[in-house]
Amino acid sequence: MGQVTATTERYLKETSRDRAAIFWIIAFPIIWVIINSFTFTRGMPEEGLPLLRGSYAIHMAILAVMIAAIVGFPASIASDRERGLLSKLLSMPILPWKDAVGRLLGIFGVSAVAVALVFAVGSICGGRFHPTHLGILKSIGFFLLALLAAVGIGSIIGTFIKRQYGALMTGVGVVIGTASISGIFLPYPFLPSPLQAFSKIYPLSSCNSAVIALLAGGEESAGYNPLTAGHIVLTTTISIALFVIGLLLYRRFCWGRRWKKPVKMLPPMAGKQPPKTRDRCPNMGNLIN
Amino acid sequence: MQALLIKNLTKKYERAQVLKDINMSINEGEFYALMGPNGSGKTTLVSIITSVISPTSGEVEVYGHNVIGESEEAKRLIGYLPGGSFSSPLLSGEENLLYFAQVWGLSRSEARKLVGGLLDKVGLSGEGKKRVSKYSSGMRRRLELATILFPGVKMLILDEPLTGLDPSARKEFLGLLKEINEADATIFLITHIGEDAEVASRVGLIDEGKIVVEGKPDELKRHSGLETVVNVRLGVKNKRVLDTLGGFSRGGRVLEVEDGYRVYCESPEEATPKIIRALDEIGYEATRAGVEKPSLEDVFFQLTKKSVRGGA
Repeated sequence: MGQVTATTERYLKETSRDRAAIFWIIAFPIIWVIINSFTFTRGMPEEGLPLLRGSYAIHMAILAVMIAAIVGFPASIASDRERGLLSKLLSMPILPWKDAVGRLLGIFGVSAVAVALVFAVGSICGGRFHPTHLGILKSIGFFLLALLAAVGIGSIIGTFIKRQYGALMTGVGVVIGTASISGIFLPYPFLPSPLQAFSKIYPLSSCNSAVIALLAGGEESAGYNPLTAGHIVLTTTISIALFVIGLLLYRRFCWGRRWKKPVKMLPPMAGKQPPKTRDRCPNMGNLIN
Repeated sequence: MQALLIKNLTKKYERAQVLKDINMSINEGEFYALMGPNGSGKTTLVSIITSVISPTSGEVEVYGHNVIGESEEAKRLIGYLPGGSFSSPLLSGEENLLYFAQVWGLSRSEARKLVGGLLDKVGLSGEGKKRVSKYSSGMRRRLELATILFPGVKMLILDEPLTGLDPSARKEFLGLLKEINEADATIFLITHIGEDAEVASRVGLIDEGKIVVEGKPDELKRHSGLETVVNVRLGVKNKRVLDTLGGFSRGGRVLEVEDGYRVYCESPEEATPKIIRALDEIGYEATRAGVEKPSLEDVFFQLTKKSVRGGA
């Protein structure tokens, strides 16, 4: 576990000491909670304002998760690659999954702090929630699903965009683009019908709707019922699929490049043990046996 | 015992063969420098030894462990210092070392015990609490050197570790490497600077993916056929100066170095004053011109007709 905790600790320290990262992951969503709570409430009936403000906080909490995982995470991978840290780690006795889990826990920590602060500021700004114990637990589950999906997307960006600047810009583009068309910036009822369909499929927005339905006014506030069995299965499946695809690509292209199939094999040599399966070199057997 | 054994190693990418049938070995406790220009295959070779990339064919063993079949065992014996500055500027020196020690497999308490000693070893005691962003480039490099001095590491592989360091920091770093080598560690230094390779007990010259020659620095110089060269230091370098100096050399062979040129001629003692006069006539003043013993860069130039620093 030492390798996992060391990686998590490094990620948390680096993020918490990077003022720009803190601004975009924590302060930026909070600023929008404040702006939304006092600007985009005109003409709304007074009795509905607390729940509306609460839902704004949920929107921005999901945005914080997206920024942490879709912008911050790939930027961190690309930065590690650019400064040679990935090469250094490849030469060290650490397994890829330990590095990945360490980073994931780091993002989880950063996101958890951001979400808690966004909710706190939302409450201070007059937002109210109607939580039940079960509703809170389910909401945490949906936040975790949103995080998995976002980490998956972030891993894909970090794997294929080699430079930190490029990874950062791509992450920002994906966050702004998908948040704009999926009901994270705009409430679901305001979206045209094709985008409403996208909003139900895109796991970040469907988790957003689910948490709104659980904590801030039910189906009426969410615009549709995101808590049907079908929606929950779809959201869970897509979130986990994105996460798994992201991690497999990260593992394959950031850690597994060395095990490409060799062009030419040498004849077997006497007195050598066959490679162990954990050495992840199925194509290299003849080379070293 | 052989610390490193490489047999018939090749590496092909889609369009180019980067390593061509490399065969070499490094003995335990040896300080070996591999010198070659950019693009000669040095970093690819090191990346294969450190399990970062796979070879196309061939075999690499570190202390008897095949780096592919027994990569975990081999990795525990290798300390690899890549070219760039990989330490985190947002963490302190101590925090960086703690991270790498735990990634190396030590527990947190073991890592904590080790950190002070490592900082002391690389001359950074008292600097461990500072953020790395406050370090000079020399201090940062020494900190990164400490990340490969964990218990159990027997061979240090350093890929251009002195890039970007000023002359004083370079000398300090090389001195540190020599001390570490004297304490029984095997060192494999990759460089394209002749002066850095001079500290090694054995040097290999690599060009276009092939080891051209190997030997002790003095042996290489003796066998190169060069006795002396004229070293001309100038404030400026251009084609006119190069053409003028080319007139004094055998076959127009002039090597461009950091602070001027090195001219290979038949009678360096006689040629030196003539070179100074000729430069004067075209309006250039040599800040210093004199006869010197050949360097490893001269040897490389003699053998390959190329500058190890990448110039023609």
